Amino acid sequence: MSDPVAELVFLIIKAILMPVIIILMVAFAIYFERKFAGFFAGRVGPTYLGPWGSLQSFGDVFKLISKEDVIPSRSDKLVFKLAPYIAFVPAFLVMAVIPFGSVGGEANLFGYRFDYVISSFDTGLVLFLAMGAIGVYGVVLAGWSSNNNYSLLGGLRAGAQMISYELAMGFSVAGVMLMAGSMNLVDIVDGQAGAFWDWYWIPQIVGGVILFVASIAELNRTPFDLAEAEQELVAGHLTEYSGMRWGMFYLAEYVNMIVVSAIVSTLYLGGWRAPFESWNVIPGPIWLFIKICFLIFIYMWIRWTIIRYRYNQLMSIGWKVLLPLSIANLVVTAIVISVVG
Amino acid sequence: MATAHDTHDAASGPGGVPVHMIAHPTPEELRARKAAGRIRLERNAELMSLSMGPQHPSMHGVYRAELELDGEVIVSARPEIGNLHRGVEKLCEHRTYHQIIPLTDRLDYISSFAMNHGFCEAAEKLMGVEVPARGRYIRTLAHELCRLSNHILWLGTSIMDLGTQTFFTICFRDREYVLDLFEMLTGARLTHSFGRIGGVAKDLPDGFDHRCRKVIDFLPKRLAEYERIIKQNRIFIKRAKNIGIFTSDDCYAWRVTGPTLRAAGVARDLRKDEPYAAYPEVEFDVAVEYNADVYDRFLVRMREMRESCKIIRQCLDNLPDGPFLAPDAGHSLALKKNVLHDSAAMIQNFYQVFQGPQVPKGEVYRCIEVPKGEMGVYIRSEGGAKPARVRFTTPSFYHGQAVPALVEGEMVADMIAIFASVDVVLGDCDK
Amino acid sequence: MSDSLSPSLEKALARLNKRFGARLLEQTVLYGDVTCVVAPEDWMRVLSFCKSAPQLAFDQLDSLFGDHLPERPEAPFEVVTHLVSHKHGHRMRVKTSLAEGGSLPTVTGLWPSAGFDERETWEMFGIVFEGHPDLRRLLTTEDFEGFPLRKDFPLQGTIGGRIRTDLRGKV
Repeated sequence: MSDPVAELVFLIIKAILMPVIIILMVAFAIYFERKFAGFFAGRVGPTYLGPWGSLQSFGDVFKLISKEDVIPSRSDKLVFKLAPYIAFVPAFLVMAVIPFGSVGGEANLFGYRFDYVISSFDTGLVLFLAMGAIGVYGVVLAGWSSNNNYSLLGGLRAGAQMISYELAMGFSVAGVMLMAGSMNLVDIVDGQAGAFWDWYWIPQIVGGVILFVASIAELNRTPFDLAEAEQELVAGHLTEYSGMRWGMFYLAEYVNMIVVSAIVSTLYLGGWRAPFESWNVIPGPIWLFIKICFLIFIYMWIRWTIIRYRYNQLMSIGWKVLLPLSIANLVVTAIVISVVG
Repeated sequence: MATAHDTHDAASGPGGVPVHMIAHPTPEELRARKAAGRIRLERNAELMSLSMGPQHPSMHGVYRAELELDGEVIVSARPEIGNLHRGVEKLCEHRTYHQIIPLTDRLDYISSFAMNHGFCEAAEKLMGVEVPARGRYIRTLAHELCRLSNHILWLGTSIMDLGTQTFFTICFRDREYVLDLFEMLTGARLTHSFGRIGGVAKDLPDGFDHRCRKVIDFLPKRLAEYERIIKQNRIFIKRAKNIGIFTSDDCYAWRVTGPTLRAAGVARDLRKDEPYAAYPEVEFDVAVEYNADVYDRFLVRMREMRESCKIIRQCLDNLPDGPFLAPDAGHSLALKKNVLHDSAAMIQNFYQVFQGPQVPKGEVYRCIEVPKGEMGVYIRSEGGAKPARVRFTTPSFYHGQAVPALVEGEMVADMIAIFASVDVVLGDCDK
Repeated sequence: MSDSLSPSLEKALARLNKRFGARLLEQTVLYGDVTCVVAPEDWMRVLSFCKSAPQLAFDQLDSLFGDHLPERPEAPFEVVTHLVSHKHGHRMRVKTSLAEGGSLPTVTGLWPSAGFDERETWEMFGIVFEGHPDLRRLLTTEDFEGFPLRKDFPLQGTIGGRIRTDLRGKV
C-alpha cells in the first residue's frame, strides 16, 4: 500500500542521499586511483593524511578551495564559469534513473513501501546517452572560453573524440534494449533475473566490451586522453582552470566514471542482482556497489598501464572498428531475437 | 622484401628473426616511407601559432619550439634555445684545467662523468699525459655506468611522453641502483666531478666490485622485461614505427650523432672508430638498426644498455693494478693520501692547485662518444695554466637544431615522440 | 698518439694541396690533428671543395666557432671549423683569420648544422656571416649588448650582475 506522503518523503531522502553518496564515492575513487597508481608503479601513493592516507581527497579539496581564483582577463567569463557545471551536473541526472534494488517489490521501511530507484524512467537509456552528449559541451566550452590556443585545440579534440565514440555506445546499448524489450533501466535489470549466467554480458559480450572501450573515450581517460594529454598540450582544455574550478572538472570525470560503471553494471552485469539466487538476501545496493567498484578498478588499471593513442589513430578506432562492430552486434541481436522469439 | 610493418616482430634482439634475414631499407626507401607517412600539407587556413615551451612537462628542460600548425600538422617549427646558457666557455677561460672539470659536470648533467671524460681526454691530448691502465679501466667503467643511467632515464621520460607515468617511475627505481653505485664511487649522484687530468679522482672503494656486479647481473633481466613490454605493445608500435624517419644523409647534414645516427644504419661509434680509455681492450658490439625511425632508436638504446653491462663486467673482471692517476708532476694532482705525508706530493699539489698544470702552446680537438652522441672538446692554449679558448661541441645543441628537419610535416603528437627519441638535454644544449 | 696520419688523410691533403696550393696559407699537424689556415676570401671555395671532392668527402661539419686573439691586432678574430668524413673516417680543421668587422660567407648551404654555430659565433664575437638565413642572438637574451666571448668583455658582464627588473613586462 503506498502512501503519497511516504512516497514524497522517500523521494526526498533518496534525492538527497544519492548525490551525497556519489560525492563520497568520488572522493574515495580519487584516493584509490592514486593508491593504485602508486602500487602499479612500485610506489605507495598517499600515506600521510588519515589512516593509509585515506583522507587525501578531503585535504585536496580544502587546498583547492583555498587557492586563488584565476580567470583569464580576456576569456568569456560567464561561459568560463559555467563550463565545469555543464560537465558535472548531467551525470547526476543519469543516476536518478538507475535502480539500486528491487522496484515494485516488497522493500519497506517501517511498513511504508519504497522503491530502490529515484525515478523509473521509461527512456532511461536514452537519458544516459543524452547526458553524455551534454557533457561534451562542458569540455568544448571550457576549451573555447579560455581564450588560449592550447585549450582550444584540446577542447575541439575532446569534443570530436567524444562525439565519435557516442555513436558506438548508442548502437551497443541498443542491443541490450532489444534483449530487454524496454529502455527503462528497471526493466533491463528485471530482464536479467536469475544467476550470473542469465545476465546480459554473455549474449551481449561484444556490445559490452564496445561500451566499455567507448566509455573510456567518453571519459577522456587513457588511452584516449589526448584532450588532457599533459605532456603534449600542458592540460588541454583545462589549461586555464585552476583551484576549485579545475577541481570541478576533476570531480566531473570521476562522477562520470561512477555513472558509466553503474550503467555498464546495470546493462550487462545484472545491476543490483546477486550472482547467485540465494545471495539476494544481501541487499541490492551492496551488489551494485561491488560491481561499480570492480569496473572502476578496471578503468584505473587500464589507465596506469597503457600508453595513449595518437589522435588520428584514436578517431580511426572509433569510426572504423567500434562503430561497425557495434552495428553488427545490433543486427545479429535483432536477427537472433526475431528467430528465437 | 620485408616491409617495416613486418619487422616489428622480427627484431634484432632475443626471440626474434635474426637481423641478417631482414633486407635493410635503402635511404631512398626510407625517404619514400617518410613521404608516404606524411599528411599532405594544405596551407589554406590560417596557421595557428603555438609556442611549445619553455615550461612544458615534456620538453626535456627549457627548450622552446615555436610551431605553426595547420590543424594537427606542423607547418614550421623554429627552435629557441638559450634559456639555460651559463657561459661555460667564458668561465673556462678564467679557470685552470683542474678547475674546469666541475664546470663540465653541468653540461649534460645526467651523464656528468662522460663530460668530465671528454674534457680530460682533450686536455691529456694537449699536455701529452698518458693515463695509467687502471685509470683507463675505471674511466671506462664509470662512463658506461653513465651511459646506463642516461639511457634508463631517457627510456622512462620518453615513454612518459607517450602517455604513461607508471613506466617512468619504474625506470627511475632501476636508475636508483646505478645512482647508488655512483654515490659509492664518486661521492655524488649527479654531478660527479670524477675525472682528473691523468686519470680519475679515487680508486674503486671496498665493496664496489661486489655491488656493481649485483647491479649488472640484475639490470639486463630488467631491461629484457622493458624491451618485451615495449615491443609487444601495439599502441607503442603504432606511435613509434615509421615516425620521425631521419636518414643518414640528414644526420650528416645536421650533425646528428649517437643512437639516432646508428638507428639510421651507420655503424659509427667513436668507442670503436677513434678509441680512447680502455675501449680497445674490451669486447662489445655496436648497436645498429636500419629503419631510422623512433622505434629503432628505442631498440638501439636498449641494446646499448645491454652492451654497457657487458663492458662493465669486463672492466671489473680485467681491472689491472697500478695507479689510477698518472704520476705526472707537471700535469696532474698528487694522491690525497700522500699529500700530508710526502713533501714532493705536497709541493705538487700546491703547485697544481695554486698555479695549474704546465701546458704547451697549441690547440687540440678530441671527440668522444658520450651517451647522447659525439661530444668534441677544443682547447687552445697559449702556454699558461688557463686555456685561451675552450669549446664544447655537445650533441644536444645540434639535435635541438635538427628539430625542424625532423618534425616539419608531422603531427603535433608525433613531435613529442620524435623529440623524445633524439634525446635533448638543455644543459648539453645551452652550455 | 703519434703524429702519423692515416693514408686516406694523406691522400686528402695531397688533393687539397694540389687544388689550392699556395692559397692554403698554413698547414700544420699537431697532436695528430691537421689544421689548414686559409684566407677569408677562399673560405667558401675551400670548404665546398672539402665537401665535394671524393678524396676528401667531408660530409659532416663537426663544429664551427670563433676565437679572439687580441695579441694579434691586425687579424684578431679566428673562425675554426672541424670537418669529419664518415666515408673515409678522417678529420680536419680549417681556420681563417679575420680583422675587426670582418665577415665570412655562410656555409649553411653546405651543411645545415652550421646554422646554430654561425649564430652563436656572431653573438659571441661579432663576426657576421653573409647569407645566413636567421642571424640573431641564440644563447643570450634578445636585448643583450656586446659580444661576450671577446677577451675584453668582462667575466661578470656589463650590468653588474643584477636581475634585469627594468625588463619586466617587456620581454
